[in-house]
Amino acid sequence: MSTATESVTLPATVVRLGDGRVGQMTQFYGLYARELVKTFRNPWVIVITLVQPFMWLAFFGGMLSQVPSSELDQFLLHAPPGTGYLSFLLPGVLSTGMLAIGMFGAMSTIQDKRFGFMKRILITPTSKATVYLSKALGSATRGLVQIPVMMAAALAFGVTLHGNALGWLASISGLVLLGVGFSAFFLAITASSTDWQTPGVISNFITMPLMFASGAMFPTSIYPKWMQDIASVNPVGFSAQLSRDVMTYGQFSGSDLTYLAYLAAFAVLMIAVGTALASRYLKVE
Amino acid sequence: MSGNGWAISAHGLTKHYDKLVAVDHVDMSVANGSVFGLLGPNGAGKTTIIKVLTGLSDITEGSASVAGFDVTKDPMHVKQRVGWVAAEVILDDDLSGWENLWLQAKLQRLGDWKERADRLLDYFELSDRRKDRVGTYSTGMRKKMEIALALLHQPEIIFMDEPTIGLDPNVRRMLWDLITGVNKQFGVTVFLTTHYMEEADALCGRVAIIDHGKFVAVGTPSELKSRVKEDFIEIETSEPVTVDKLQAIPGVSNVRSQGNTWILRVSSAEVVLPEIFRALQTDGIRRINVEKPSLETVFIDITGKRLDQSGGDVQDYRKFYMNLRRARR
Repeated sequence: MSTATESVTLPATVVRLGDGRVGQMTQFYGLYARELVKTFRNPWVIVITLVQPFMWLAFFGGMLSQVPSSELDQFLLHAPPGTGYLSFLLPGVLSTGMLAIGMFGAMSTIQDKRFGFMKRILITPTSKATVYLSKALGSATRGLVQIPVMMAAALAFGVTLHGNALGWLASISGLVLLGVGFSAFFLAITASSTDWQTPGVISNFITMPLMFASGAMFPTSIYPKWMQDIASVNPVGFSAQLSRDVMTYGQFSGSDLTYLAYLAAFAVLMIAVGTALASRYLKVE
Repeated sequence: MSGNGWAISAHGLTKHYDKLVAVDHVDMSVANGSVFGLLGPNGAGKTTIIKVLTGLSDITEGSASVAGFDVTKDPMHVKQRVGWVAAEVILDDDLSGWENLWLQAKLQRLGDWKERADRLLDYFELSDRRKDRVGTYSTGMRKKMEIALALLHQPEIIFMDEPTIGLDPNVRRMLWDLITGVNKQFGVTVFLTTHYMEEADALCGRVAIIDHGKFVAVGTPSELKSRVKEDFIEIETSEPVTVDKLQAIPGVSNVRSQGNTWILRVSSAEVVLPEIFRALQTDGIRRINVEKPSLETVFIDITGKRLDQSGGDVQDYRKFYMNLRRARR
């Protein structure tokens, strides 16, 4: 082996960006970019992310869209007459889709722990909080891929989309905040886990109640009182209603800004609590 | 370089995992620019020592300073100054060699790293594969890539955890050359763990022998070897043999048992072997093994067992399953 005996000149010093915010942003950017690069190099992750909401639209929406329109109008209550069920369902599916995206972030974190990569990260001057934030925002970003694909699918199914630019901005922001909030929540409660099965179990546990105890699939006015109580604080419902007002009804109003503020508070709270929990409990292996 | 001439110093370093005492009141000083080896069986506490010295794991008791910074009080400054090479080769297989270096530069907050990365790839003969995913690299290339990552941020100390475990003899020899080269050319202090006697002997200026979390001997390989001038003969018989019978053999100075095996300390194996065959001719000798003075005999002398028969606890399971997972992947 000749390499070790050959002379080599390395640059004498490497420049450091410092311990402050610039340095932390550099670390965050590195880890965040890694999350996205790895995702888009794995087509199956994309397929799984996209297929589930698409199936809801196709099967669930397809089934109920066969209900005669007069009965449907009565069922959907406050919706303008003639609103098809698919139009009603699309914002709901986009919102419930944000429930599951944290699962992929949690699985990616567990993979890093089990294959030792978390050690490689944490043996550098990178804080656990930075690792957590990169994972949470990475998985939220990955989940947003659903939005344009779902829109295209809905258009293909014959849904008419309404709304103005400001409304759409608010609607997309609401979905982003919902995704960030649930991704942050998911990663926080799996921070100390190293078991592959944990994210799936938790996902099953939280997805069903939060999906149905919201206005995502049906109008909440048909629910029993206890489900309405859950729906009244469920961020999935707020996001679904915001997007529905914009996309389906074309009626962006002041109450939608309240929904948006609520979703922002949810995301900020989840990130803050999650960062504190992960800083303490994120396991190295 | 740290100011007091020591790259690493530790006093009363102790680490508990619940009730398991993984590291037990270890004192050590590793000189700047040296190669220090931690020799011991699997499960002796070698990896745990690396974890606590690099800030990956908390210290239960005692103190340690690495590159002039207290590991407990100032772990981030320690982490800026150390590199790490894992036993099981940890890289992101989905990323290319260059992308792995890019990520390392980001995590180490480097602003100007590309020229150094280029030179490191040249040095480790990886330049032509820089754009390929590291999952497609050979074992030797992956090890070299890991050392390049460890060197990128110009560390003062590199920790290498069993750097040649599971490698074939050619790759091991290549790595020995590289480790020596890294130490000499880049002036980096190397702290390595191993359970290969010949590796510690070939690479390390100083060696600490660790068993059950404690340092049982520290010195240069020649100092340690000079502690034991006698030979060791290991015997396994099919019939039970008494200690008295073995001690009565001329030239045998000490007898220890380890399961069905006896370890005899003798003045000269060449002289004593015929006496052993004569004395035990009716006892059915199944296996006989001679150890001339070496780090292995030092280990046997101190612990009463061979390196490859020692240890075996939680850490072994972790390494085994880690390797199994990698193989399945």
